[in-house]
Amino acid sequence: MKIIFRHFLFVLVCCALTFTPACKRHDKAGSADSGQKSTRYLTIKGSDTMVHLVSTWAEKFMQTSKGSEVSVTGGGSGTGIAALLNGTTDICAASRSIQEKELNLARQKGLNPLEVVVARDGIAVVVNPENPVSELSVEQIGKIFSGAYKRWSDVGGTDEPIIVLSRESSSGTFIFFQEHVLSKADYTPNARFLPGTSAVIQAIETDKLAIGYVGLGFTVEAKDKVKALQVKADNSGMAISPSEETVKSGEYSIARPLYLYTNGEPSGLVKEFIDFCLSTKGQEIVRETGYVPQ
Amino acid sequence: MNREITEKIIIMLIRAVAYLIVILVGYILYDIIRKGAPNLSWEFISGFPEQSGAKGGILPAIVGTLCLVGGTIAIALPLGVGSAIYLSEYAKPNRFTEIIRLAIVTLAGVPSIVFGLFGLGLFVIFLGFGASILSGSLTLACMVLPTIIVASEEALRAVPRGFRAASLALGATKWETIRTNVLPYSLSGMITGSILAIGRAAGETAPILLTVAAFFLPTLPKSIYDQVMALPYHLYILATQHPAADQVRPMQYGTALVLLIIVLGLSLGAIIIRIYYRRKYQW
Repeated sequence: MKIIFRHFLFVLVCCALTFTPACKRHDKAGSADSGQKSTRYLTIKGSDTMVHLVSTWAEKFMQTSKGSEVSVTGGGSGTGIAALLNGTTDICAASRSIQEKELNLARQKGLNPLEVVVARDGIAVVVNPENPVSELSVEQIGKIFSGAYKRWSDVGGTDEPIIVLSRESSSGTFIFFQEHVLSKADYTPNARFLPGTSAVIQAIETDKLAIGYVGLGFTVEAKDKVKALQVKADNSGMAISPSEETVKSGEYSIARPLYLYTNGEPSGLVKEFIDFCLSTKGQEIVRETGYVPQ
Repeated sequence: MNREITEKIIIMLIRAVAYLIVILVGYILYDIIRKGAPNLSWEFISGFPEQSGAKGGILPAIVGTLCLVGGTIAIALPLGVGSAIYLSEYAKPNRFTEIIRLAIVTLAGVPSIVFGLFGLGLFVIFLGFGASILSGSLTLACMVLPTIIVASEEALRAVPRGFRAASLALGATKWETIRTNVLPYSLSGMITGSILAIGRAAGETAPILLTVAAFFLPTLPKSIYDQVMALPYHLYILATQHPAADQVRPMQYGTALVLLIIVLGLSLGAIIIRIYYRRKYQW
């Protein structure tokens, strides 16, 4: 049974070896940053909403900029900002702007987070083309989706029930819509939760009492099948139809900017990457992945 | 009512409950294989992801998952088997042993995302390993440790007392007895339990989310300090965060199938090892 004993010893030695270099690495962690830049290595952490957009950028960026390596991690905007403050990432992707608390923390550490808006995310509220309603305020939409309004006559339509369609709770759009349109209230229990945007569009195409929300990119593709509502930011405001232009200008209210944060003025590979994101090709990728170009 | 009829009804009910489990597993397997199999191709398994997972393959995620599983085995197995040997052979039933057992049970009940946070705090930030295979494997190892300890202890206890007594009577020391008369006979049980635990580790998302997993990496890992992609995390992002979720659904099922094959492969390995050692040592 010596063999078994030897195996145990071997595994123990392996473990010991594993930990020895670990200590070394810990010692030089402070200087690792400058070393990484020379090998043209870039890390991006942050928003799960943006992880697809950013990794598509990274993929195309590496094709144009030979010899550079970009790694992309999700985890959420908060995780990304924390990583930026800890110095464990070069760029943070965030679908919200940095909070005052986080800025103070950064200043205490002598950091200077700078934000760049790299894309926008617009959500269109859609109904069947036969529906006479064509404009609503954000407040009205919120009341429809939270169940306070149950009939189309409540918002100036026919006296028929409203069929509320929503995405599943795993969808980022679901959460964004809940926070910004429903003021964090729960969706009505009568809502039908559909697994994807195309399911929402199909349902609205066939049901003239239905209302749902989809990413802006889809309203262009499906403009014969569904009608995108004009949205008033408040009850006295102008009704704005969702489009690339109105989302860009900030007039259309159900939209949010998507940011990249860097520590201090971007330089070297960080600057190259951000420049690529903002370039014509980078913005084309934004459109392809379903967001609104900056 | 007739007692025999009552008994028959109860047996039928229990049988139905047991069959239900088979049906559940069978349906999950059927669904994933039916929708995933058409997407399995050599390009899918050996390629790098393109357009953030909408096209291309999942090689880095497969390699990453295997790295994590390997790391977890290397860390958790010696620790778990060591504690099991101590608890079953050396420890006396006193307050201290009770505390150890209580700690193991508590560790088994900790939700996996808490392990993720613990790993982030201890390994990634405090010990400075960064988001790396090392941090991820250590976190996963902590998670599977209770299962390995309990399984190993059971296996050790299953070895008859007489074996130890005979060995000690011949003048062997306690450690010699354990080494030559207890470990060989309990090995199959220990390895089976451990591999089943590690199969679970391969499928966990929460612990690796904060300690190792990257969504997109251009290269395969070069050292234990690199981040890796992992199948569960890849699946999670594809299913929840892709703007065109419907278009990437085939990729999701393909990834799910590969992950299932790896986990089932590990379980199959456990079964084969068990059969092999059962034949080798019989008493």
